[in-house]
Amino acid sequence: MRLPPFQYLEPADMEEALSLISTHKERVRIMAGGTDLVNRMRLRLIEPAFVMDIGKLRNLEGIDAGDTETVIGANTRLKEIAGAPLINKRLTAIAEAAFQVASPTITHMATVGGNLLQNTRCLYYDQSGMVLDGLEPCYKRGGTVCLAVKGSKRCFSVYQGDLAPALLAFDARCVLEKKGSTRTVSLTELFTGNGITPFTIGADELLTKVILPQPKGIYSSAYRKLRLRGSVDYPLASAAALVSVADDRKTTTCRVVVGAAGAAPKVIDRVPWEADFGGIAQKAYDQAEGVDNLPMPGAYRRKMVSVLAKRAVQAAFAGIKEGM
Amino acid sequence: MNEMKKTAIILNVNRETYDLVSYPNRTLLEVLRDDLRLTGAKEGCGEGVCGACTVLIDGTPVRSCLTLAVAVQGKEITTIEGLSLGEKLHPVQEAFVNHHAIQCGFCSPGMILTSYALLEENPNPTEKEIRRALSGNVCRCTGYAKIVEAVKSLAEEGK
Amino acid sequence: MEDFSYIGKDMKRIDAACKATGEALFASDLNLPRMLVGKILRSPHAHARIVAIDPSKAEKLPGVKAVVTAKDMCGDKWGVFKYTQDQQFLPTEKVRYVGEEVAAVAAVDEDTALEALSLIDVSYEVLPAVYTIEDALAPDAPQLHDVYPSNINVHVVIDVGDVEKGFAESHLVREDTFTAPEDSYFQGEPYAVAAQFDHAGNLEIWMPNAGPHLKAKPLSNVLKIPLNKVRVRKITIGGAFGGRSEISPADVICAFLAKKAQRPVKIVYTREENTVCTRQAHSMVTKIKTGVDKEGRVVARDITCHMDGGAYSSTGPIATSVPFLCMEQAYRMENVRYNGYRILTNKPIRGMFRTHGRGFACGVDIQLDMIGEALGIDPLTMRLRNARQAGDTTPTKSYVASCGLTETIEKTGKKSRWTEKFGKLPPYHGIGIGCNSVQTGFPMGIRGGSQAFIKLNEDGGVTVITGIVDNGQGNDHMIVQIAAEELGLTPDDVQLITADTEVTPSDPGSYSMCETFIGGNAVRLAAQDVRKKLFKIAAAEFGVGEQDLSAKNRKIFVTHNPQQTMSIAKAVRIALSRNESISGEGSYWPNVDGKREWVKNPYGQLSEAFSFGTVICEVKVDPETGQVEVLEVTASQDVGYALNPKVIEGQFEGGVAMGGQGGMLTEYLQWHEGRVLTPTQLGYLLPLAIDMPKINNIIVETIDPNGPYGAKEAGMSVAMSAAQAYCGAISNAVGVYFHEYPITPDKILKAIEEKKKRERKG
Repeated sequence: MRLPPFQYLEPADMEEALSLISTHKERVRIMAGGTDLVNRMRLRLIEPAFVMDIGKLRNLEGIDAGDTETVIGANTRLKEIAGAPLINKRLTAIAEAAFQVASPTITHMATVGGNLLQNTRCLYYDQSGMVLDGLEPCYKRGGTVCLAVKGSKRCFSVYQGDLAPALLAFDARCVLEKKGSTRTVSLTELFTGNGITPFTIGADELLTKVILPQPKGIYSSAYRKLRLRGSVDYPLASAAALVSVADDRKTTTCRVVVGAAGAAPKVIDRVPWEADFGGIAQKAYDQAEGVDNLPMPGAYRRKMVSVLAKRAVQAAFAGIKEGM
Repeated sequence: MNEMKKTAIILNVNRETYDLVSYPNRTLLEVLRDDLRLTGAKEGCGEGVCGACTVLIDGTPVRSCLTLAVAVQGKEITTIEGLSLGEKLHPVQEAFVNHHAIQCGFCSPGMILTSYALLEENPNPTEKEIRRALSGNVCRCTGYAKIVEAVKSLAEEGK
Repeated sequence: MEDFSYIGKDMKRIDAACKATGEALFASDLNLPRMLVGKILRSPHAHARIVAIDPSKAEKLPGVKAVVTAKDMCGDKWGVFKYTQDQQFLPTEKVRYVGEEVAAVAAVDEDTALEALSLIDVSYEVLPAVYTIEDALAPDAPQLHDVYPSNINVHVVIDVGDVEKGFAESHLVREDTFTAPEDSYFQGEPYAVAAQFDHAGNLEIWMPNAGPHLKAKPLSNVLKIPLNKVRVRKITIGGAFGGRSEISPADVICAFLAKKAQRPVKIVYTREENTVCTRQAHSMVTKIKTGVDKEGRVVARDITCHMDGGAYSSTGPIATSVPFLCMEQAYRMENVRYNGYRILTNKPIRGMFRTHGRGFACGVDIQLDMIGEALGIDPLTMRLRNARQAGDTTPTKSYVASCGLTETIEKTGKKSRWTEKFGKLPPYHGIGIGCNSVQTGFPMGIRGGSQAFIKLNEDGGVTVITGIVDNGQGNDHMIVQIAAEELGLTPDDVQLITADTEVTPSDPGSYSMCETFIGGNAVRLAAQDVRKKLFKIAAAEFGVGEQDLSAKNRKIFVTHNPQQTMSIAKAVRIALSRNESISGEGSYWPNVDGKREWVKNPYGQLSEAFSFGTVICEVKVDPETGQVEVLEVTASQDVGYALNPKVIEGQFEGGVAMGGQGGMLTEYLQWHEGRVLTPTQLGYLLPLAIDMPKINNIIVETIDPNGPYGAKEAGMSVAMSAAQAYCGAISNAVGVYFHEYPITPDKILKAIEEKKKRERKG
């Protein structure tokens, strides 16, 4: 299917980019790698008047590793994140997440920013007219029903981004620039938890950097993803874990973030430490939601969120033991 | 309906320069197939999953069905037609033919280009690495066994 | 076996290089002068009366060159069989599934075509619809067609021996029900069709197909032009797997658009359209009751199968019968009854899929495992005890001339180290076995035979002209191998004109697994015809008998005195110099029971030969997630004779992927009433390279007395036995016999949890 018509904008620098989105606001869609945007245009989920290509803004690429934080440009390709020795060492879960996004060829094209800001998904939403013509529009399309859950009063679309849980595990912050100002927010603030409008980013704002504060002391992290095949697919459930050991070498703290478990990843902070990880699994299960709007029944996916939470913590913990 | 004007698009494909005038909403796959008549890249799914549309951009395999033609000006685009060496097949193509890695042939151009790119980056991949590299190229006919053998044979020979 | 030059050798396929370079043209690659873009308007309703269609606004849109609606066609109903004529290519009265064709346009570009579609006004009166077999059979269910009361499209009844007596005499009887939803073909290539008419009213048309001659006749009928004006052209085809056999509305629509526009038209389907608007596989509910003796030998079997056929018949009678026939060929049983029902629902149309009913096949085999467990007999032994043997006659009266099923079971068992492993693997680690059989064709009346011509050039090269079609499996190459071998030429000397209805004679098509057997035999006979004529010339020159001659490497020579030699080119020239034209002809009609009919008379010789296969699969299951890791698969089949072993291995490996890895682990369509929610590659999960296990291939050869060089078929059986083996392996790993397929992780997890509960209670 051909794409809908649009005008193509190719800003030469940040100033021009910010000026353009300031002018056109909701009428612009930002294209970095294009792997998400182009497909959604093909499905006519969005028909923007302007497509702004930021893929050539070099200053938005790169990994800058400092002593107290690591800064990742929003246009950094996922392949680079997955393969960077530094990210693998100090931000393992993030490298693991980037490695498992889609398939290798997609990671050549896809960017950190694009992966992070992907729309929520649902079998009843991400479809062409072939499937949806003749059905009532759902909440996410501006309608008054949920097609997946009969009688539901809200949207159940699922956030299936791989990077976000791993970034959240590390307490990521996001730099959002617009014409004339910049703000830095915790990544948690970026998510609304609402499937209809999943992000708080303004139509005139551009995500430029992700900042990962460097955890102190001994720590390890892991990202676990469930999919039926070994590649290509979005997560049906996911979990990232960051486990750190205090200076006394006795106190262990743990942060778990579950994904594909609702319209936003859910952070489970300061999880009590238990030898059998049962508490972690239970908390993850309690935080997660799962309805039948993706491949595999919702009840199964919800259970898997708890299994993966446990496994992510186990893997991170094993990483610490190795280090100690 | 949104406004759209035709624009100049200059593409470097298989070491040749093409001066086109077309709409910005055209994907690289469409332009290659419909304008340049390079039909080796195929549309198998339209959503970047099956890999039949794979081409190389500056040597990296990408999904041409998800790439705007207007966005890849100034880059070196290689399609399957650009891989063979005159009348001779490229060693990767040769290996696919020799190892029966081709049945219906629809996935083959994408599969071959992805394999070529893998070997350029990693001349001696393990089977695991080969299978992962090709995991984004769907084949309905072969079960992948002989495709993996073909790529392996190039790895062992040191190409 | 003789020392062949090409037959039995691992030759590079002749069509591989042009596919490796991207030169090979598929239907969507075609570009004809002044070609238009065709697009089809589809029904958004599962069941609705068409009140009115007004195309006038679309017709007026600049750039639109033709619009067709039902008014442009004669309204005749078409069907694969005379008694299944229920489909109009553009419906006049009502639509019966979401996605059904309603109208079409041809325009100068895709954007104009899409805009034109949106300008066609169609008003519908929505009717109640049925989406399940149960709903379709309910007493007050809406009827899809007047001619099929209770929405029962086909009812196949087979009753042999005395099933009740058999059960009464059985040592053990069990009954189980197995279910599986639709699988879907997902050929690599989405459907596309291009058509043009010339000044004289001749139609040229290209589309992926499994038998161009089967496309030509309905086109001839609906366009009301004789067959010799319908040219279904040769094209590279991106897979069929049973889903591209008969005429499609898109073919007819494209032809009508081309006729109206007086310009070539090409329609290219999206992946979604390919999934929804071509064919899907049937979902099935299969109830199997089996009685065995003390040794596990089947004494009686009674099967009732309900299949969801979608909105029209398609190849209904065949699809309803083949799952049963494969089983009755594979296993011995004297008393058997079958009631196969194909039920109509307001869903897309179902056809014959390579695995032919994973629920059916897996049900038969897993039940043997269950029975074996009760009797203390392992699954492999159960197969050996029930295996078909050469010289048998099947319950529906097909004589089995060659059969290597036992050999495939034994060899697969040995290679996979079955006896070391079965029952001895650690928890959640399992091994399973599956057996099946496939016929090489079935009675097809006047289209059941194949004919080949061979043209000779004065320099000794030839062109073979045959209707054989290649969907990607290597049939074109097979023709070259056979012709080169028989004629004593090299493969380079053999050119092909195939699957072009202007030139090639009728051939049954590839979907019935008969191209090698029937088409290959015809080519062989044609080549032998040429050879005979050339040998007559050479024999006279050398003063020897024709039986004293051989041909190899472009030369004819006296077998025991190879110095006496003459080039084939010379023999040809001698004939021509005598003013004798020289060419070859051969035709092959299988010796089958022409009176056998799917519904009216399902007895008699079905095909001359049957293939038999066994697959063993080993898996590990993660008990926390229910995910399956497939460790190793061994696939074996009695193919009669391997004309090209590597090509056959490719069929085995592809079959394991489709029937086993996909069919048992991940492939199923999800629905919202009559709408497919997973029509794309992201929703319907095909096996990927990263997931496939190691596959061992074992080719068994029984040298069939009638197949060309003893060859039978190799494309379908492994897909079925792989499904069965995967099912058995997962069941073995979990310790629970699965009745619902595919066996996705949620089902495995549920089974593990329920088993634990039972163990705690007990």
